[in-house]
Amino acid sequence: MTLNTDMTVNRITDEIWEIPISEKPGMLVPARIYATRGILQAMDSGVFDQVTNVACMPGIRRYALCMPDGHWGYGFPIGGVAAFDVQDGIISPGGVGYDINCGMRLIRTDLTLADVQPYLEKLMTELFRKVPAGVGASGFVRLSGEEFGRVMTHGAKWCVERGYGWHRDLVRMEEGGCIEGADPSIVTDHAIKRGINQLGTLGSGNHYLEVQVVSNERIFDPVTAAALGITGHEQIVVMVHCGSRGFGHQVASDYLKVFEKSMRRYGITVKDQQLACAPFRSPEGQEYFSAMNCAANTAFANRQVITHQIREAFATVFGRSAEALGMELVYDVAHNIAKVERYAEGELVVHRKGATRAFGPGSPELPEIFRQTGQPVICGGSMETGSYLLVGTDQAVRDTFGSTMHGSGRTMSRAQAKRTVRGEQLQQQMKKRGILVKAVSMSGLAEEAGLAYKNISEVVESVDRAGITKKVAELRPIGNIKG
Amino acid sequence: MAWTFRFLEDIAMADTAFEAEGESVEEVFRGATQALIESMANPATVSGGWERAIERTDVDPSALLFDWLSEVVYWKDAEGVVFREAPLTLTREGNVWLLRARLIGAPVDYRTQELHADVKGVTKHLYRVSQEAGRWKALVVLDI
Repeated sequence: MTLNTDMTVNRITDEIWEIPISEKPGMLVPARIYATRGILQAMDSGVFDQVTNVACMPGIRRYALCMPDGHWGYGFPIGGVAAFDVQDGIISPGGVGYDINCGMRLIRTDLTLADVQPYLEKLMTELFRKVPAGVGASGFVRLSGEEFGRVMTHGAKWCVERGYGWHRDLVRMEEGGCIEGADPSIVTDHAIKRGINQLGTLGSGNHYLEVQVVSNERIFDPVTAAALGITGHEQIVVMVHCGSRGFGHQVASDYLKVFEKSMRRYGITVKDQQLACAPFRSPEGQEYFSAMNCAANTAFANRQVITHQIREAFATVFGRSAEALGMELVYDVAHNIAKVERYAEGELVVHRKGATRAFGPGSPELPEIFRQTGQPVICGGSMETGSYLLVGTDQAVRDTFGSTMHGSGRTMSRAQAKRTVRGEQLQQQMKKRGILVKAVSMSGLAEEAGLAYKNISEVVESVDRAGITKKVAELRPIGNIKG
Repeated sequence: MAWTFRFLEDIAMADTAFEAEGESVEEVFRGATQALIESMANPATVSGGWERAIERTDVDPSALLFDWLSEVVYWKDAEGVVFREAPLTLTREGNVWLLRARLIGAPVDYRTQELHADVKGVTKHLYRVSQEAGRWKALVVLDI
């Protein structure tokens, strides 16, 4: 088998591959990659180097993991998962990413493709108007510094209190859309100024808002799908992918600088400057954790305000209230975050960077409504090929610190994608295939072409066969808004 | 023009990497600044009207460039602007480097500007400022 690495990679199963600790000086645990043979062979060299760098970090437990959508990131690979002991382990912004609590949200409707198709252009125009996207975009919510502090501590709860959503939305979010332990007093003025005007905005890059269709033949588990409000029959759903915007980006930047200095004091060395870290129990580690939670809550609030705008846009176009249209939240889940969770080894700081929590039905942390199904997992594919709804499993909790994939993962650089296809040309091609795209940046659109991504169905098969998530339904795009 | 930059394709494929090159540290600052500005928008489509004068010092030019590029990213979000140009000078007094720059741009308007990526941050992944064969080089990976 030819791989993009000289390291020894041993087969554990057809979907699990292990790099032993002998392959790099300083590795404390083996690295494990979840992938089919084909996906593993296509993985870039950065994945192997970066996941083994993570395996060298102080206090890591069991394995450094990479999911099948993994690719070269900075610090951790995208798709990286690592758990560190709360007593002797570290916390690292490089294991979370700049876009703290970047995540996915799925909203169901009672509408069908036949209902929406005649109004699709009008609907996408209204969504494009109501949900700002792209470089430096600002939202409609105007906040004082004090009120932004409440967003940091209350997350999506703040939105519901202000009328941007329904109380029952909250139970359908990871952590109820509000993580405890957020302290706005330690967030820098720079971070506040960067984010205070951006609530309700998408950003750019791979962030999007997508109108999708669920067909009966693409529902793999009808019982679970029905329990989550997915009924098929060409049902319309809406997916949102975005995070904490400039606020979270600045929190990450601020603490990378803090950790670079404090690492020397704590005698920590790392293989990549971007893996700068601090002992979790140190003052610096606790401050970052608290500031990161501020950003995580802001991301929940951002997606909640966007949901409010989506509901308003649908109500305007279809002349019925969002409640009458059945626009209930299916779930909201983070894929760039660090959280304290309990496993066989005790309390661990689980870092997920481009990886999703995937708790199974047996997890006491889940609310009652997901005790039969397991936690919903939302995986976004490219804008051309579709996305998936899955559920977490108890096996994920045992094997991967309750974690799974988050998307399809890139196979082509942004520059190469732009050279291969032009944004305007792609927009026309997609329109002919029944996918209406509204984009702020045509070069940004080209960078996100389907050809730049792995085949999401093969990525999903990897985690389904490995047993760490189970497929529920595939979601096919008909309209997309990009920054 | 004594500086150049080129975007790199085989590094951090979901993000943007560039290498700037110049005959002096000052020139490499200019090249790196231009690469960052062009990552966010086509400067030729951005009018003026918004301006900030920025001064920063550091004993380490590598740290100074990192902080300066991070500051450009900060103003993009804090003021909702993209940039046309950033004339700058870099001088050295003793062991301290002094950067004086003017950041010139305009509020974001997707109808009149050719917008590119919303840069989240300047990363330390593979980051370096170095002198090779008499030329100064900076390798920068931006999180997109």
